[in-house]
Amino acid sequence: MNVDDWKSQIKRGTLEFCILLMIKQRSTYGYEIISTLERYPILSAKENTIYPLLRRLLKEEYISSSWQESAEGLPPRKYYSMTEKGLAYLSAMSEEWDRLIHAIHEIQGE
Amino acid sequence: MEKSLNDYLEKIEKNLKPLPVSERVDIVKEIKSEILELQGDGKTLEEILERMGNPKELAKAYLGDLIAKSSSFSWSRMLAICAYYSLAGLSGMIVIPVLVICAPVFIACGIAAPVLGAVKLIDTLLHLGIPYASCIGISGIENPAIVFVLSIVMGVALYLAGRGCWKLLVYYIKGVSQAKRFLSI
Repeated sequence: MNVDDWKSQIKRGTLEFCILLMIKQRSTYGYEIISTLERYPILSAKENTIYPLLRRLLKEEYISSSWQESAEGLPPRKYYSMTEKGLAYLSAMSEEWDRLIHAIHEIQGE
Repeated sequence: MEKSLNDYLEKIEKNLKPLPVSERVDIVKEIKSEILELQGDGKTLEEILERMGNPKELAKAYLGDLIAKSSSFSWSRMLAICAYYSLAGLSGMIVIPVLVICAPVFIACGIAAPVLGAVKLIDTLLHLGIPYASCIGISGIENPAIVFVLSIVMGVALYLAGRGCWKLLVYYIKGVSQAKRFLSI
């Protein structure tokens, strides 16, 4: 039995959703996103997944970015925040997500 | 220590070659920002670079979309690109030079016409005898005052035509580059 394949498929499908949810909460930067995801093994992803994904979301204008100076001694960080388009996209995603959860519950017979 | 960090970043930059310079710089800056942040947390550079993984692989991840995009060949896209370049190339060959010449010439003439009309009017009124002033005029109209008024009207019309050409030029160029972006060529 190997559940890892299935898990990685779930991760692939949901990372975008989770990242957008995080950015919607408040503007954040790449490393913070990665560290937050690390707390959840099913979602944890490496730099080579997250940064290209953020870049794609930027290109599609779901998020915007700006370089901001951080506390003394630390390098500037690239902060990401939601755009109007991103908010619409996220709410459509949330709807689909609720539908999926609902469907699973119904199939489970609960 | 610092050297291996720079080596690492350089390798990433090198492997990002297909991307435009500005994007490359931004990507490397973001990765560097995280590495420095991790160093600030007290991690050693080796640990960090191990975590970030092979620079070539990391760079490739950024190019992933690009490669997937360019490898998928489609006839309709090919045709769209051919049509775009034929249209933009051919029309650009005519439209851009015509407008580039017309816009400043019309504007210059628009300014010159009333000035010349005024010169003729003043010359006639004050009997100055400015050389070649008698050459200025509109055929069939003798009265310099009417010539002056007409030259102002002509001047305004020419000036507006010049401005129109200029706006058309800007509009054309914007349209062409927007179409290009839309096709993402």
